[in-house]
Amino acid sequence: MRLLSQARVAGSVLLLLLFSAFTLPLRASASGQVTPQTVAETTQCGHVSLQAMIDEAEAGDTLVVPAGTWQAPIRIDKPLTLEGQAWPVIRGDGSGNVVAITAPNVTLRGFVVAGSGKSLDREDSGIRVSAPNAVIENNRIEDALFGIYLERAADSVVRGNTILGMALPISRRGDGLKIFYSPNTLVEGNVMRDTRDAILWYSPYSVVRHNDFADGRYGLHLMQSDHHLIEENVFRNNSVGVYVMYGTSFELRRNLIAANRGPSGYGVGLKEASDVLMEGNRIVGNRAGVYSDSSPLRPNTTVTYRNNLFAYNEIGLEMLPNTQNNRFQENILLDNGEQVNVYGGGDLTRNEWAFDGRGNYWSDYAGFDANGDAIGDLPYISKSLFDSLIGVQPELRLFQLSPASDALDLAAKAFPLFAPQPRMSDPAPLTQPPALPPTPGLESPPTATNIVVAVAMVGVALTILAAGLRRSKRQRRAISAQPA
Amino acid sequence: MNGKIIWTLAQKELRDALHNRWFLLYTIAFIGLSLALSYMSLAGAGIAGFAGFGRTAASLINLVLLIIPLMALTVGAQSLAHEQEQGTLAYLLAQPVTRVEVFIGKYLGLALSLLASLGLGFGIAGVVLALANGAGSPMAYISLVGQTFLLSLTMLSVGFLVSALTKRAGVAIGIGLFLWLTFVFLGDLGLMGTAITMRLPVEQLLWLSLLNPLQVFKMAAILDINATLDLLGPAGIYAMQEYGAQLRGVFLMLTALWILAPALAAYMRFRLRGDF
Repeated sequence: MRLLSQARVAGSVLLLLLFSAFTLPLRASASGQVTPQTVAETTQCGHVSLQAMIDEAEAGDTLVVPAGTWQAPIRIDKPLTLEGQAWPVIRGDGSGNVVAITAPNVTLRGFVVAGSGKSLDREDSGIRVSAPNAVIENNRIEDALFGIYLERAADSVVRGNTILGMALPISRRGDGLKIFYSPNTLVEGNVMRDTRDAILWYSPYSVVRHNDFADGRYGLHLMQSDHHLIEENVFRNNSVGVYVMYGTSFELRRNLIAANRGPSGYGVGLKEASDVLMEGNRIVGNRAGVYSDSSPLRPNTTVTYRNNLFAYNEIGLEMLPNTQNNRFQENILLDNGEQVNVYGGGDLTRNEWAFDGRGNYWSDYAGFDANGDAIGDLPYISKSLFDSLIGVQPELRLFQLSPASDALDLAAKAFPLFAPQPRMSDPAPLTQPPALPPTPGLESPPTATNIVVAVAMVGVALTILAAGLRRSKRQRRAISAQPA
Repeated sequence: MNGKIIWTLAQKELRDALHNRWFLLYTIAFIGLSLALSYMSLAGAGIAGFAGFGRTAASLINLVLLIIPLMALTVGAQSLAHEQEQGTLAYLLAQPVTRVEVFIGKYLGLALSLLASLGLGFGIAGVVLALANGAGSPMAYISLVGQTFLLSLTMLSVGFLVSALTKRAGVAIGIGLFLWLTFVFLGDLGLMGTAITMRLPVEQLLWLSLLNPLQVFKMAAILDINATLDLLGPAGIYAMQEYGAQLRGVFLMLTALWILAPALAAYMRFRLRGDF
């Protein structure tokens, strides 16, 4: 009953606000008595501080904050709901945190938060939460070293925020999203650009869903943290798309992991991660699609790759020779510069490259399917002299795409004396690529322009030829003047 | 120097190219192979729901590295030697034209005919790619064609030099083919072997490989398409970190050197030779 009456009062307050909030900063209390506060000057002059409004509010209140620029730092030390109307700005002076939330059950919604300090030691943040059950929703965080930092804030929700990092070299940037000792956190629908990492430490059972993290170092870094669902995110243009380090039980489903590059760039990195399921991800155009080291670590667990697309990566699967008990089923390995690479040499034969009689689709499979069951009759065997060479001596990668490297492989086939050891073999390669589930972030290239450009090229070629063939008037006259 | 004369000579060269069986053969082979490559890469784009231009371009680079030097070297090697053998060069030089006009006219004509055959090959393949929605950014494609044209000019210059140094077209083509083998295979294989046995540091490996204009083309093309040279492993990463934005300039300079130096040497020889 109390809840219901509170909601009613809150509703009427909101209506009231609709009429008056354009010019007047208001404070609405939802805990029984409503005391709209009228202020003579507009908020830009700083006559009313947001901090004062928070200090006056009582636990459980909803503060509707009108547009304007509010002075930071702000400390929220009681359970409150802060709703920004028309994007009020909370601006810091370039030192420390902008908003600090130290009480549980705080909701912060609809603000622009800007201007944190730049100290990596103090981890200066846009929004710093150090109490459980926070809801950080639909905010825009700009010019902050750390964007949103949850520290011992279990059961929190970070949803629909836009986090833009500082224009600093990557080594001096902070994490756009840092979630530390905060189990059961939901990270959903956020957009993050130009920060360092999105990182979850010791925050088991957290879900990361529908986010778009780009242009940072680690798109998502899971560290010492178990039981995660990572679903339908886009990780693009980072150094590493998703890095899973030291943990158990991860599901990565239907993510788009594209163009993560750099000297140690991976789409997905697994280090001592156990019980991993990767299903329906599109892993495209990264330096290496997957990098795997000592995964799974725990006995009797597996890393399962099912129905993923690995396409156009420089290396499809880059795995250390200690990789075993991995299971690959119905993946598509399409036109990777090198489909499988054993980092440092060795082989990957202690993994299951087919399961239930279904292997993977390899775009460079050179076998046949005589009985028409869509499964190749010869195993797919990965061996290439050049690939083996660059496994041992990576600087020879310089010669990739050269005809000379192809010649080496040809020689190895023609003279089996040099034949390299097979590194893996898929006993049941698929001859038809399996269907893939859709992932977010797919786009098609500009077709019309491409056609125009290509036709123009043909046109230029024909013009040149025509110019060569057309004789000048004088030449024609000279020719016609010649006796037949 | 008379521009009109040069253009007339270039036109003659273009017409001759159309009658040159080598040239026609290479052009048809280039068009056919680039079409086949784009078709194959399209099969992939359908699966991925993604433009795989990176890989299409990579296989196009591989194709270009094989065919274009062959084409430009043989065409260049034939240029002076063939006409000299037939006696038409002496006839041409007896006309009121200077040697520099003849040389530039020939070079321009052959360069244009190479450009025409590149335009046909890339253009037709490009139409197929674009119609099936498999192409990437048009700028990347244009710059790949541009880089390829520069590569063909380097090899044309080397071919001219061979032609100016030999008397018989057959010998010139033979030397041209040997040079092709060296640029495409022997040089790289030798360098690979050296790198393995001598444990060459990355820096030396990079610079030694950049002596080969084909490697310069390859790196420039990869840089245009990928914006980095990560693909080329430690040496590529070293190049990016050490030279960064200047890398394009370095590549362009090396290419220009490979175009101008052999052409200039060929012209000097052509000017001084008495037997033409």
